[in-house]
Amino acid sequence: MDTAARPELETSLIDDLKRGDATAYHRAVREYSPGMLAVARFYLDHSSAEEVVQDCWVTVIDAIQKFEGRSGLKTWLHRIVANRCKNKLRSSNREVATDFSESLEPELADRFNAKGRWDLPPKLQFHESADNLVENGALSDCLDKHLSALPETQRSALMLYEAHQHKSDDVCNILDVSASNLRVLLHRARQKIFLMVETFQETGEC
Amino acid sequence: MLMCRGLAEIASDYIDGELSGRQNLTVKMHLMMCKDCRTFIGNLRASSSLLSAHSAGRPDEEFLRQIDERVTEALKNRATKDSESD
Ligand SMILES: [Zn+2]
Repeated sequence: MDTAARPELETSLIDDLKRGDATAYHRAVREYSPGMLAVARFYLDHSSAEEVVQDCWVTVIDAIQKFEGRSGLKTWLHRIVANRCKNKLRSSNREVATDFSESLEPELADRFNAKGRWDLPPKLQFHESADNLVENGALSDCLDKHLSALPETQRSALMLYEAHQHKSDDVCNILDVSASNLRVLLHRARQKIFLMVETFQETGEC
Repeated sequence: MLMCRGLAEIASDYIDGELSGRQNLTVKMHLMMCKDCRTFIGNLRASSSLLSAHSAGRPDEEFLRQIDERVTEALKNRATKDSESD
């Protein structure tokens, strides 16, 4: 179910949440927590991130009363998470550092010659598609492994943009990065996934 | 002139439609002549849609159940408070 794609469903979910309907919370927790966790992981380590997401849900019970629907529910929830994380960081004085200077992954950059032509071009066309991903458990596991190995900044950008289908403006807003830095984050993360799928397809190994 | 490496650097911007009209045209011209870059762009695009379909980063069920518990408790407290103030 994707309520974001169906505004009337989202409106009725918001009404149910405002009334304090436990079933509605059960549904909403399952639909929105993955994205909220992705946002929190941009700022915090895994267990602090989970803690923030839990705390946010409890505050949502009161905060939702004032929600006017100017933004979508998902964007609103992600902003609550981001603000809470920023406050937490401020109090622990921890900085999030990212290098935005290089747009190519070193492993990919090495595959071009001095003239800028392919030395080691991509050999195969990917035959794995979104459709057969579900049946391919090994590929799915491999994706999981590589996603969790991504730098947190790249993973959050990728998750919000690709998996949770946020608009660039929203992602910049939530993660507090510039538009050009977001482009670098996304591109670097996609290259890593590209390299992973290529290896997987050639060797069958992750 | 746009070389393969230069194209690879801006490949995601091309895929997401973030290039200017002029840059976009330069990429298209290169792609017409270069099979390797066509494969690269196709595969990078496939990687991107694989990710959209893959529900990774998904929290485990135990974590979600913990949230349910805290929410249920908070809802109960709230209901009690409301009835007391009535
Ligand atoms: Zn080329």
